[in-house]
Amino acid sequence: MISPAGPAVRLERVTKRFGNRNAVSDLTLEVPRGVICGLLGPNGSGKTTTIRMIVGILRPDEGTVSLFGGDPSTTRRTKIGYLPEERGVYKKMRCLEFITFLAEIRGLPRPEGRRRGLAWLERLGLGDWADKKVEDLSKGMQQKVQFAGTVIHEPELLILDEPFSGLDPINQDVLEAIVLDLKASGTTILLSTHLMDQAERLCERVCLISRARKVLDGDLRQLKAAEWKGVVALEFVGSDRWVDGPEIAHAERVNGGLHLVLHDGADHQAILRRGVQAGAEILRFELVEPRLHEIFIRHAGGDGDDDGTGARA
Amino acid sequence: MTWRNVWAVIRREYIQRVRSKAFVISTVSVPLFMGAAFLLPMFFANRSEQRERRIAIVDETGVLQARLAPRLLSSGWTVSAAPAGGDQAALRGRVAAGEIGGFVVLDERTLATGEVTLYAEDDPSPFDRLTLRTAVARAAMEEGLERSGLDADAMLDGGELRIELLADAETSARNPDFWVAYIGGFILYMVILMYAVAVMRATLEEKTSRIVEVIVSSMKPWHLMLGKILGVGAVSLTQLSIWILTGMVLGTSGLPAMLAANPQMTDLAQIREGLPGLGFLALFLAFFLLGFFMYSGLYACVGAMCNTHEEAQQAQAPLVIFLVGPILLLIPVIQSPASTMATSLSLFPLFSPILMWARVAGGGAPAWQVALSLLLMTLSVVAIAWVAGRIYSVGILMTGKRPTLPELWRWVKEA
Repeated sequence: MISPAGPAVRLERVTKRFGNRNAVSDLTLEVPRGVICGLLGPNGSGKTTTIRMIVGILRPDEGTVSLFGGDPSTTRRTKIGYLPEERGVYKKMRCLEFITFLAEIRGLPRPEGRRRGLAWLERLGLGDWADKKVEDLSKGMQQKVQFAGTVIHEPELLILDEPFSGLDPINQDVLEAIVLDLKASGTTILLSTHLMDQAERLCERVCLISRARKVLDGDLRQLKAAEWKGVVALEFVGSDRWVDGPEIAHAERVNGGLHLVLHDGADHQAILRRGVQAGAEILRFELVEPRLHEIFIRHAGGDGDDDGTGARA
Repeated sequence: MTWRNVWAVIRREYIQRVRSKAFVISTVSVPLFMGAAFLLPMFFANRSEQRERRIAIVDETGVLQARLAPRLLSSGWTVSAAPAGGDQAALRGRVAAGEIGGFVVLDERTLATGEVTLYAEDDPSPFDRLTLRTAVARAAMEEGLERSGLDADAMLDGGELRIELLADAETSARNPDFWVAYIGGFILYMVILMYAVAVMRATLEEKTSRIVEVIVSSMKPWHLMLGKILGVGAVSLTQLSIWILTGMVLGTSGLPAMLAANPQMTDLAQIREGLPGLGFLALFLAFFLLGFFMYSGLYACVGAMCNTHEEAQQAQAPLVIFLVGPILLLIPVIQSPASTMATSLSLFPLFSPILMWARVAGGGAPAWQVALSLLLMTLSVVAIAWVAGRIYSVGILMTGKRPTLPELWRWVKEA
């Protein structure tokens, strides 16, 4: 029934409406097995709705969703580990009990759930907290407990919705390392985030969505190669009045210089000529590999939002 | 496989609840309250040794003393006879010395009208006044009735109404028992409401904390609802069993012991005779469980539809009407349990737990009607589970405005 080569997740022309607003429009997406795939986009772009359809909580109004070749609402639930963005816990439960409960509803026997739960708590540095009530933990710690509950049954597909938000840098690193570990052991991971830099570090594949629509998806390295000539790194002395021109979609200060994101097919030499004419002292003019953020801006028309301050659409 | 996760939900719900402070407190406080209801009268009975209840009886009639003394004794008074026709100075002296609380003088007027005078140091309590007055009046009536050749005991007990049923031999032959019917109905109302609301709150909490999203990604919402209801149901049975057992221990051993110690409290013995037997208890639990399953399904729906406690308070109002309705109808139904209205109302499943109970306990329901109501309630449980499960599945993940009735209907169709 399940072809081993088939993708872990497959969405075909999926649309989901709330009232008369499209939360997701005509989205087609494939996540191959064993990769980390980033689902990227600003807040309110439809990431969470997409994920909810993948885990079978919501049903698409149009199109089909399949998990390992089957319908997500039926028997495949135990193969998924899902960490939602809005994190709920049973506050009055003890940490280990809570994790054991989550293991149990995914079909693991209690003793096994307990054993694994304890191991995960140790690994996350919460071994001493196993018998404390969840409500006694800090938000960040609760988040780690929840993460343990998400992976306790060794799911084949791990879906993490903004897993790093609210964690301090040290714990972000801990979690990142664990995610990479899980990937190495063969888990497929779908990671939703609006932090482009993090996605760039972790993901092999990305799917960019904006305003309910897919903007771009594919292998991250190939995407970057295709976007070559799209970004110019520029360093100069003196006034920057000459820099702006019709070629430039977006400019950003990076390491004391500027990163210019160009419109598709724009002539980068035109910028250089303008600089020479203006008599600017140009120290560096280089075509660089675009950052994910810059790719996104080129394709989503400047409404990329990688600091999380963007308004909800 | 499927049932393992339902079982996990039941187990979690049960353990978390039974371990909570609220459960321990409510479980202990009810028997404590019952115990106090028994012990406090004992405590006050012991204090009845006080002086006010030690009186002397001056019997000018020569016949009333023998009738009055045992009656007063059994109500906790201490009485002594004083010579008739003597001068009251000696008695007044004894009162002043604190030897007795006072004395009564019974004369021909007492015999004719029940009127009597108590000479006392202190004003007696209203309760003491009442017992004294009743005892004297009763003694005088007995004397009068027997003089005219009547059976005073039988007459004063209010006669007796014997009932011979000509048809409908199935009707339970038990004597109508107003209090078992009334109090039982009331208790059913309270426990069904209490535990159904517990299901609603738990549902609402899971929804607002968003934990439900994690759970529902691993199991069907309907299984979660089922586990929740069965878990709370198990908790309710535990709590009710503890209460019933304590009640039975108090009723069967505590009560006789207390009666032996305080013979004046013989009235309590009647309570014991009125206590329902095991068959009744089983029927009570059946009515409770079926009622709980029906209402908890509906309350789970309300919890799943709403986003805040305030909203849920409003949305549960229609359900409360179905629970309060039978309470308002309780007395009319107990009074005429065989009327067409009582019969049809008590067969309406949402009313059955309370009204059919009232008719059974009140002795006015044929066995086939009881069986029919149990069947109808069981069918309703299934129907409610089906509809409620669908509304629950959609609602539990829905945020935003509370759905309107047409929207609810769409959820039922679409889920």
